[in-house]
Amino acid sequence: MFKYILKRIGISILILLGVSMILYALLRCMPADFIESKIANLAQTGITVSEEFVKEMYRSYGLDGSILQGYFTWLGNVLRLDFGTSFINHRPVLSEIFNADRIGTSFFVAAIATVFEFLIAIPLGVTAATHQYSFRDYLVTVLVLIGISLPSFFFGQMLKNLFANKLGWFPVSGMKDPNINYTNKFMEISDFLKHMFLPILTVVILSIGSRMRMTRTNMLEVLNADYIRTARAKGLKESKVIYKHAFRNTMIPLVTSLAGLIPSLFSGAMITESVFDLTGIGSYALNAMTQGDIPVIMTYNMFLAVLSVIGVLLADLMYAVVDPRVKLA
Amino acid sequence: MGFKSILSKFKKNERQEEAKKHYLTGKEIKVIAKANAQEMRRLEKAKNRKVPPEEYMSVMKDENNVLEVENLHSYFFTDQGVVKAVNGVTFNIPVNSTVGVVGESGCGKSVTAMSVMRLLQGPSGQIVDGSIRFKAYDYKTDEEGRPVPTYETDENGEIVYETVVDKNGKETHKPVIKGYEKVEAVYDIAKMPIKEMYKLRGRQISMVFQEPMTSLNPVFTIGNQLDEVTLLHIPGATKETAKKRSIEMLDMVGIAMPDRVYASYPHELSGGMRQRVMIAMALACEPRLIIADEPTTALDVTIQAQVLDLFNDLKTRINGSILLITHDLGVIAEMADYVVVMYAGRIIEQGTALEIFRNPMHPYTKGLQKSKPTMNSSTDTLYNIPGNVPNPINMPNYCYFKERCRYCTDKCSGEYPCMRQVSPTHFVACHLYESKED
Repeated sequence: MFKYILKRIGISILILLGVSMILYALLRCMPADFIESKIANLAQTGITVSEEFVKEMYRSYGLDGSILQGYFTWLGNVLRLDFGTSFINHRPVLSEIFNADRIGTSFFVAAIATVFEFLIAIPLGVTAATHQYSFRDYLVTVLVLIGISLPSFFFGQMLKNLFANKLGWFPVSGMKDPNINYTNKFMEISDFLKHMFLPILTVVILSIGSRMRMTRTNMLEVLNADYIRTARAKGLKESKVIYKHAFRNTMIPLVTSLAGLIPSLFSGAMITESVFDLTGIGSYALNAMTQGDIPVIMTYNMFLAVLSVIGVLLADLMYAVVDPRVKLA
Repeated sequence: MGFKSILSKFKKNERQEEAKKHYLTGKEIKVIAKANAQEMRRLEKAKNRKVPPEEYMSVMKDENNVLEVENLHSYFFTDQGVVKAVNGVTFNIPVNSTVGVVGESGCGKSVTAMSVMRLLQGPSGQIVDGSIRFKAYDYKTDEEGRPVPTYETDENGEIVYETVVDKNGKETHKPVIKGYEKVEAVYDIAKMPIKEMYKLRGRQISMVFQEPMTSLNPVFTIGNQLDEVTLLHIPGATKETAKKRSIEMLDMVGIAMPDRVYASYPHELSGGMRQRVMIAMALACEPRLIIADEPTTALDVTIQAQVLDLFNDLKTRINGSILLITHDLGVIAEMADYVVVMYAGRIIEQGTALEIFRNPMHPYTKGLQKSKPTMNSSTDTLYNIPGNVPNPINMPNYCYFKERCRYCTDKCSGEYPCMRQVSPTHFVACHLYESKED
């Protein structure tokens, strides 16, 4: 087991090297790089820039050499744990990305949403499967399909309109109310939760559908298995048959989704965040991308790549836990 | 245009006509689906209804029987129409005997067994009519619903006491429990609500399935799955006693190193061992009736003999009865006291094993006997009964075997033949034997 994990980690390092190489090359090939747009801005204000100045700019941002040269410089710096500074505001990349406002907000929304997603989608999927083709099944299926089909910018806006503008139950946008002076910690937290409610609701409703459909399909397959008939023949109650004998087997394919789950916790919901004006990582990364802020994008994407690799490894390890037939070697 | 082309055109038309018979129009499917939905809803409701026990209590017609199946109808409601998988089956299982059910694939053997367990996959599979009377040997309960224990006694008839130390170190003086008082009760399984069936399944009637490879849950250990039965049905069972009992059972079905098998997962065992585990599971509560649905089909011949010996051995040891379902006549000959021959959802002949093998009367039974491979004949090809089973959705109203029968007479186009008694224990449903009496 330990040997297996070591082997997998070794392979993962190779994968990450490949990923970083491709990422860097793609970023350097972007049609409008950071310097170009900066010079275009200067030109608009009427300042003429000399050839010499442009070269100096490229050199100072480390973009003067070839792609390969640039990549190895970046890699060397990273190995010395120097992730560089943001092109846009010249602050260290690490503190820009990993602070409570950015990735903290995104993680909070995603984590709470994921918990609710599982808590709602799995029981719904199980009931839909155990009452296949009944009114309940059709109702659940139609509702979650509506959830899948709604685009987040539309649905988020709709919720905002209804609950914030019309009913006034929740704040329209932002992270905290500027008009309130917090007297204690409790007030601060409750205000924060109020602001987070609608974004979380949006993410939950949009993501329930696929997880519920997956649970339903797996459950149906398992319920037709011979060992379920055996369990019934033993005299077990139907609830025990479903929640002990069938459910453990339904979990096996669900574990696969763990691989994608871990990076998704940190990647931020770009559109939902911008609808509700949250300072999450999603909108920040999008902004960095359009402006060609290479150090930020490289660090952020490599962070997600590391999480993906960890997710896949964890999913494989979890397989061995939920399914005794899987042996890792 | 020659004669041949006209002929082929004619044949094509005929084929199209034939094809039309097998396909339903959308309208027809809708009508069928609607009628089915109504019927299925009614039957599903009946499954989950709450009724006083008097509604499903019954009396046996013959006290010597453990199971009496009478006029059982089990249907499957499909979109193509109603499949009458079991269509009026009547047979008895006497106490401490083996009844074999034979017939080709799809004749309703397994559905009969599933009906007795009430395991038909709903909502499409349903028992529509008939009764299944089962004599259960149930625990007697006091007013509070707890089983009444019987206590260990010494030679003088005095109750033996033992001192038990509980977790807190407190000593209590308790009588030694030998078992629990039991009473006989006759249930009509076909009318029982499913919730009441939980008490019978696994405890009074247990089942060994056809597929040992897939019949055990892959994610739980053998021990876990075996303990479940004991914990569920034996009053006062604890984890320790269940484990002890499970290992005992594994030992009884002839598994070497029962401790190791107890802790292993199903995929670590061979097919024969898994079938033994299934049998151990079925026997854990000493049921009155074991239903073995083709228990040896998936096993190779050497293991088959061992498993069959095991069944015979256990039948005498726990004084139970066996309903053995198989299409292997050799197995029937070895095991069964009584034989029921089924064809297309009906019983066509039944009698003692000797009668069925020495003096088969129905042409189908004769055909079955003939198609058995033998060691001492020198033919190159095996005999087979020509033709196929009729379409289960549109059964004809004459004898179902008519099209395949070599002894067919004019009478066979008439109504379905009723059961004729030819000896005290031998019954046959065929027009050939009516004329003799009339």
